[in-house]
Amino acid sequence: MDALLTPILSYVLLYKYIAIFFVVYTGAVIVPWPANAMLLAVGAFASQGFISFWISLAVAVIANCLGDYTGYWVARRFGARFIHKFKIDKVRFFIRLKEELVTDAGVTLFITRFAGSLSSITNFLAGFVEVPFMTFVWPDLLGNFIEPGVALTLGYIVGNYWSDFSNFLSLLAALVAAAALLFILTRIYRRMMRKYAM
Amino acid sequence: MSGNGMNGTRRYLRYAIIILAILLIILGILLVREYLTLRREQIINARELQLSAILKSHGPLTADDVAVIQPWMTFSYINTLFKISPDYLKTNLSISDLSYPQLSLSEYANYENVDVITVMNQVEDSLYNYLTATSTQ
Repeated sequence: MDALLTPILSYVLLYKYIAIFFVVYTGAVIVPWPANAMLLAVGAFASQGFISFWISLAVAVIANCLGDYTGYWVARRFGARFIHKFKIDKVRFFIRLKEELVTDAGVTLFITRFAGSLSSITNFLAGFVEVPFMTFVWPDLLGNFIEPGVALTLGYIVGNYWSDFSNFLSLLAALVAAAALLFILTRIYRRMMRKYAM
Repeated sequence: MSGNGMNGTRRYLRYAIIILAILLIILGILLVREYLTLRREQIINARELQLSAILKSHGPLTADDVAVIQPWMTFSYINTLFKISPDYLKTNLSISDLSYPQLSLSEYANYENVDVITVMNQVEDSLYNYLTATSTQ
């Protein structure tokens, strides 16, 4: 089991929803906690009657959204200065990703909700490039409902065997993250090809 | 952006896409392998999808399952998991820590200044005795 996961599980058992909120919120902002594995365990705890499934889901969705909004607002408030100072606006990949976000913010935001740490980076980028808040909210909310919902439900179904599925879920999350990144890069590439052909 | 700059970006993007595609295939293979391992170990199989199997995986644990005890588990969680009397472990292990049952086994081991493995063994033995005694009644 993940060395980070075991102390987190102790805190979840001790402080329940407060611990879930803290881990999911900080994970959504930037900290790379094993949040999906934790939610898998929380789903199992819910099936064992130790914790409420619905409250856990609500707490995870709210914490995930608030974490994403924090990243978005911090970048929107201080992003321009930071980008200019570190000359990030000169990096070609950043320029392309910015174009992608501005052109198709909804799809990019929704897909990156399933892409682990890429989700936090996209929140900051969305703030940097000033994606309108209402454009940010809906795909974020939908993605944040599905992602923890899947982990919690899987944990609930497998119950006492949840730890056997921990590796499986981590691999699945990595696969989805790689697929999301591949999807975005392919779109950028195709857009570039079209622009170049003109 | 200049034509050269555009070409450079396209080249890097192409490399990134190829690397990601390879990574995706490797991850897919690993995922299938993990799935097959779970099937081989009888954790997933067609029958497990049946409602009865799901219900079984949610039932209280028995004396045969005491090996699931881990250092991160709290006494409160263990009591719920095995459906045992809340004060049984406290009395049986003579736990005086006031935060019981909101206390993990590793915290308790630190508090008692003993090895966590020793604590786990004590808890497992106590649970085994309790569960075998109650199941024969």
